[in-house]
Amino acid sequence: MPNPKRRDVTRILVSLCVLLAGGPNAWAQDSPHQHGDSEHAEESPETPEVESQSRLPEAELPAGMTLDEVLARAEEPPPDDYPDAIPDDHLRAFFIVDQLEYRYDLQGEPDAVGTEFSAWFGGDFNRLWLKGEGEASWQGEDFEGESDVDLLYGRLIAPFWTAQAGVQYANVWGGENYRDFWAAALAIQGLAPGMFEVDASIYVTEKLNLLATFEAEYDVRITQRLVLQPRTELRFSARDSDARGIGAGMNSVVVDLRLRYALWREFAPYLGARFEALVFGTGDMAAAAGEDNSRFFVLGGVRFAIY
Amino acid sequence: MMNGPDSQRENSISRRGFVAGAAAGLASLKIAGPLWARTNPELRAGKFGALDASTPGGIDLYIEKQEVRVDEKIGQAITINGGFPGPVIRMKEGDDALIRVHNRMHESTSIHWHGILLPFTMDGVPGISFRGIAPGETFTYRFKVRQNGTYWYHSHTGMQEQLGHYGQLIIEPAQPDPVAYDVEHTIVLSDWTFEDPHTAMKKLKTIEGYYNFQRPTLANLSAQVEATGESLGEVISKRLQWNWMRMDPTDIADITGATFTYLLNGRSAAQNPTFFARPGQKVRFRITNASTMTYYDFRVEGLPLTVVQADGQNVEPVEVDELRVAVAETYDVLVTMPDEKAYTIFAETMDRSGFARGTLAPRPGMSAAIPARRHRPMLTMADMGMMHGAMEGMDEGDETKDMESSHGAHAMNGEHKMDDKPSTSVTYPPHDERRVAPIKERKPLPIQNLPEMVQHGPDEHGAASIAMAMHAYRRFDEPGIGLGKDGRRVLTYGQLKALQTPPDRRPPTREINLHLTGNMHKYIWGFNGKKWSESKMIRFKFGERLRINFINDTMMSHPIHLHGMWMDLYVGHDYAKNPRKHTVNVNPAELLTVDISADAPGQWAFHCHLLYHMEAGMFRTVAVVRDLSGEPIDAKS
Ligand SMILES: [Cu+2]
Repeated sequence: MPNPKRRDVTRILVSLCVLLAGGPNAWAQDSPHQHGDSEHAEESPETPEVESQSRLPEAELPAGMTLDEVLARAEEPPPDDYPDAIPDDHLRAFFIVDQLEYRYDLQGEPDAVGTEFSAWFGGDFNRLWLKGEGEASWQGEDFEGESDVDLLYGRLIAPFWTAQAGVQYANVWGGENYRDFWAAALAIQGLAPGMFEVDASIYVTEKLNLLATFEAEYDVRITQRLVLQPRTELRFSARDSDARGIGAGMNSVVVDLRLRYALWREFAPYLGARFEALVFGTGDMAAAAGEDNSRFFVLGGVRFAIY
Repeated sequence: MMNGPDSQRENSISRRGFVAGAAAGLASLKIAGPLWARTNPELRAGKFGALDASTPGGIDLYIEKQEVRVDEKIGQAITINGGFPGPVIRMKEGDDALIRVHNRMHESTSIHWHGILLPFTMDGVPGISFRGIAPGETFTYRFKVRQNGTYWYHSHTGMQEQLGHYGQLIIEPAQPDPVAYDVEHTIVLSDWTFEDPHTAMKKLKTIEGYYNFQRPTLANLSAQVEATGESLGEVISKRLQWNWMRMDPTDIADITGATFTYLLNGRSAAQNPTFFARPGQKVRFRITNASTMTYYDFRVEGLPLTVVQADGQNVEPVEVDELRVAVAETYDVLVTMPDEKAYTIFAETMDRSGFARGTLAPRPGMSAAIPARRHRPMLTMADMGMMHGAMEGMDEGDETKDMESSHGAHAMNGEHKMDDKPSTSVTYPPHDERRVAPIKERKPLPIQNLPEMVQHGPDEHGAASIAMAMHAYRRFDEPGIGLGKDGRRVLTYGQLKALQTPPDRRPPTREINLHLTGNMHKYIWGFNGKKWSESKMIRFKFGERLRINFINDTMMSHPIHLHGMWMDLYVGHDYAKNPRKHTVNVNPAELLTVDISADAPGQWAFHCHLLYHMEAGMFRTVAVVRDLSGEPIDAKS
């Protein structure tokens, strides 16, 4: 805000000048302005009497207002009953389901349904994010699966990058068993050089284990509507975790390929394939439990957005 | 200046016919106009009349929301006196204009007189110069007409402009018109969507490139090879390099023919509005680009155009084959009808996703072939400021070569300098929007041989700005993206010379540097990385002459419009001849300089005229104040 005292002083000076010059129209007249002393000019360089402009223009004024009033009004914020000139700080919401798909196992293991989604609410710079993924499968009476959901506050920290912080709720279930896990989450999400969509997260679990996931995807445009999307997801853990059946180091690799056709920008059915592998210690644990440590699916689904 | 009988058909306003018909038209409109409009569900876009706002009784404009047929579909439009575009409003220089605007909608509205010098309270920008016109209310605009030429008017409320709320404004000169012509035709180019503009905005804000269906794909690789004459390897390597920079070289228009119907006087290309002239007659086209987002390349296929006026200001005649009309600009061109044939008036959109079209013919029912549409253009490295020597940027074939050696360093070493131009590079300090030179430094600034390029300052303007260009440079002699390669003579800003020197051509004493910034991935637009709501008022000192250097950090063209005052555009020639404009187009990576006489006290809007950029924040409040002491006020306080 302008210094009110300073402005008052200016107003008084201005009024005096107007009086001396014989009325409000003085400003619209050509009159040689005197240069003030240099000290004064240093202090208040913009006062009109030291301005070296040779003439002030003839201005058409609003009916019933003097030049003085118009200039005073120009210094003020708009009156309270004026609307916002530009509503550029709208809050918006966006929900995109990147994957909602049936995964058909090629090696006789149970099929699965899977999903991945993300949603945000907020302005241009600060947003509340919800990101999640999940998979469920049936084997006779057995219904098992896992999911995780991150609730995050995100801030656009650079043109292509959003930093996010919040919590993750993850669960694993099968038969009678249900386990859940809470973790603090930190993520960086954005567009890397080369147009790779990247989402890297680290989690600190209740048991102080450190987990990390890295996702990257890329759109190969075949036509304006037909897009091939390779995608990868890598997971890491700092320590062994029996509860989650994972070992230290990198524990799983997923590589997907989806070919989608965008009927609209908001709705695209797709077909694809998925290869996933449990690796290193985690792969050994799975093998010891009598499970396959790699699987291969063909899949079909839809990607859609609601907003 | 005689009007043939044919010239009084649709879309043509003969001056003599106009004067005779104005009073009658006025009377009937007051009583019957709006009534008729409401009872006619089959109302068709493109029916508009003419009104004379200089008549003592003034004129009435009725703003209504109605169903209107656009092409063959019904849309929800905002009509003015029952049609869109609104009526052509005439005024006479020196007279008072008196216009009563009646809001018959359920939402607030406004009219802004684009390019008109008037008291700020008559400027019609809700939130800055007045409250807006509430539903059911009538607002009376009254101002002295102090200029002449072709202008236009439009709503400044929300996104109403997208729905048809605009029309042309023609001011007769007080002195004899230096432009001689026989027939006069109004051409209002615009874009229409059946979508709610707020929905379109939401799409742009959430899904990047929503309306761009012209992107590089595997399927169009060979088309690009053909169009550029490059090898497949070069094309692929170029694409990978654009990818590396996370940029889309086809990001020419945010909204395209994917949703837009392109209109000429409210008519689609299929409806083919026809304009009449007899052989030998000199036709004056008054062209207004009233689009929200669409740059048009205008030509009358097969006939040369003589440009005589830009933004309402007479210019020394320039003969061209084609001219690009940026959003919100107006141009007057003369065409001589050579024979009894029909000629296609072709206005192709800059991204080539569509066109508006009409016909110039001696008789009704005639038409000529629609020219083939040109290949959609792609941005080049020049648009990233990775070249100097402006013309080099035009050669697509050189693009890859320059890319390899570019990224800043090469642009500095000065190897490829243009010989005939001083290639001085300067760096402007950051955050200079509010910087005020102390009085002792307030020397007149140079008016000739301004720096050819400016190096991007240390300030990247934050997350709201993807600043790729290392340099911005003068581009006023370039024909623009996608033009200048097919042998047509294209108008450039460098060719515009004021016919008469305006009274105030003092050299400026103060300089403001404004970076045009944006983040197209998030659809955030602003100046110096800030949206309107985050900004402070830019202050001009009443009576001063000041300079604004626009530095376009983005990959898009922006038509920048200042309300209430002229911008004298530096285009390299005699300072006295610099054209006076209300809207200046700033190309990607361009450094464009305008000088302004701050002779209009009050508060004014200053913004990009792409409607969706403006709504996203590419807007500033300009306050013309007594002096510059004290802090500027927050735009949103
Ligand atoms: Cu813009």
